[in-house]
Amino acid sequence: MARNTTETRQRNGSEEAVSNESAADAIDSKQASELSGEDLVLRYPSMDEPVIDGERLVATPGAVTALVGPNGSGKSTLLKGLAKQLTPDEGTVLLNGRDVHSMGTKELARKLGLLSQESTSPESITVEDLVYHGRYPHRGFFETTTEEDNRAVDRAIDLAGCGHLRDREVGSLSGGQKQLAWIAMVLAQDTDVLLLDEPTTFLDLHHQLEVMEIVETLRDESDITVVVVLHDIEQAARLADEMVALKDGAIRARGTPEEVVTEELLADVFEIDAEVDVIERGPRVTPLRARHDDIDREGGDAEEAEGSPPEVLEAE
Amino acid sequence: MSGEPVTGTEQSSGTRDTRRFVWLLDPKLVTTAIGSLVVIVLAGLVQVSFGAYTMSIGQAWAAVFNPDVIFNQQAWHAFLLGGEMPEMGKESLIVWNIRLPRVFVGAIVGMNLGVSGAIFQAITRNELASPFILGVSSGAGLMILLVLVVFGGLAAFLPLIAAVGGAVAFLIVYAIAWKNGTSPVRLVLAGVIVGTVFGSVQTGLFFFADDIGIVQSAIAWTTGSLTGTDWEQVRMALPWSIVAILLAITGARQCNVMLLGEQTAKSLGMSIEKVRFALSGVAVLAAAASIAVAGIVGFVGLIVPHMVRNLVGSDYKKVIVGCLFVGPALMVGADVGARLALNPVQIPVGIVTGLVGGPYFLYLMRKKQNMGEI
Repeated sequence: MARNTTETRQRNGSEEAVSNESAADAIDSKQASELSGEDLVLRYPSMDEPVIDGERLVATPGAVTALVGPNGSGKSTLLKGLAKQLTPDEGTVLLNGRDVHSMGTKELARKLGLLSQESTSPESITVEDLVYHGRYPHRGFFETTTEEDNRAVDRAIDLAGCGHLRDREVGSLSGGQKQLAWIAMVLAQDTDVLLLDEPTTFLDLHHQLEVMEIVETLRDESDITVVVVLHDIEQAARLADEMVALKDGAIRARGTPEEVVTEELLADVFEIDAEVDVIERGPRVTPLRARHDDIDREGGDAEEAEGSPPEVLEAE
Repeated sequence: MSGEPVTGTEQSSGTRDTRRFVWLLDPKLVTTAIGSLVVIVLAGLVQVSFGAYTMSIGQAWAAVFNPDVIFNQQAWHAFLLGGEMPEMGKESLIVWNIRLPRVFVGAIVGMNLGVSGAIFQAITRNELASPFILGVSSGAGLMILLVLVVFGGLAAFLPLIAAVGGAVAFLIVYAIAWKNGTSPVRLVLAGVIVGTVFGSVQTGLFFFADDIGIVQSAIAWTTGSLTGTDWEQVRMALPWSIVAILLAITGARQCNVMLLGEQTAKSLGMSIEKVRFALSGVAVLAAAASIAVAGIVGFVGLIVPHMVRNLVGSDYKKVIVGCLFVGPALMVGADVGARLALNPVQIPVGIVTGLVGGPYFLYLMRKKQNMGEI
């Protein structure tokens, strides 16, 4: 086995090369995992009103589910609830039928990875060291890194396309490069479920596409169940098998991108007038203008429902 | 990516050496360790050569390397376990029984404070954290004043009481900060609250001190002093220090993950509250061990991790090990000044570390753009 790996390394660990016996076994034995939240009521400790009030979300196994919605609609909150970063007031989150709150933190982290919106690290850590931190849940307290760790890190770095950054210090990277490094870290965690919180926000177009390609690769070539929060509704439509649109902490629509991305939904959820053309790559949105009708039912609700300053929702 | 040309071929992957202790051979770390050892040895030799009892440098060094002592089991038994002291020459007795133990105590205190500060800086993710940020110094200081001014009869237990006071204050800080878990900011604020209140009471107690001797003794304790330390202090601090340092080294990887931020650490499966409390406990143990023998020595725990990070980078395994060398170097070096600069008057070593620490921070402030977050 050790010999196999050496060969793999020499061939720069391309996708095919990595799937030697053990890796292939690992993939075969993995069934795509199902993650679902039932009747979730989520709220930040500092708030009285829940952000998410009794919603149900099922991430289709092995598929990409995209959460979209305006600022403060509770997308990130929902994701945090699914990732056990927030304890729900009510409801349960089930991973393959097991309540995540009955699982140990490390056990959960071996099955479910989360890339948060803003990640910080010491400036002088190298990309490789950062990615190795992704193996944290796989290592015991006194254990050193194993061959398996090395393979997972190589695979993750390769998949995230940041091999050329491997020995660079994270502090010296651009925002986009940093994001690739972080994605490599969460990939090294080698989980069945991956939750990504706005992975493309603040990136230039090149890196947005890089990140999208990584997710597409995950969708096409693995059984990983992905839930991704995206700001860009077109991006979401292109990437997702299933879309969920949220507004004011409530799910307004779910279904395939074609079902969800409609002019009515954009008016309802995002409060914009837009044209939606369905072309071969999926729905294409041309935003026209923001709707200002304050007497609009949704607009009135939004003011009340949020309760606390919108920035708070944003920052969290 | 990002438009820049991809230089060279792709890095060959998987070159990482997985042997457990290979990182110890990092050239920067080795250089740091050797440089620090040189400082410690030089400062130590200065310390043993000068003092109230005049002897020539040759005599002093001969005493240090006196094989009759170094290879004498009974002597080491006496030093480390407090047994009967064997017969030895006057020079050897002075060097080995008075001057050297002070160097050793300084080294132990330096290690403890460096490691403790490094851990607290990781926990709070703030470079300006010190071992005393979570109330340890204020708790210890208050107990010192209480013992000296009010409960004079307990003076014999002062080191122990001071260390316990520090640990108790830390627990109070933690309890204040706790509300469905803690956060670095809450911990630091709670530390400030406890520090302010305890500090006021401590200052108030100075008013009730009867004579100047008690006040001087209190100042020596609250600024940190190595005056009069001998093997008893080594025996007192060494076991706790060994425990704390071993735990700190094993906890270094947890520190590394903690530096990635609370959310990331959590999503990587760290039980963050447990780890934070355990690491704080280790850091408080180290700080308390140093307080018990030297009082509250300021600045060492603050600047040593800084210097080490500048020298070896931010990997905490290296930072902790680096602190084990740089801490003693600073402490032993500063004690040379404390003991000999105003000979025959000895000043508390904490005054010297403060005098060294201030300018070092000024230098850092000028050199670095953003201080604060690690």
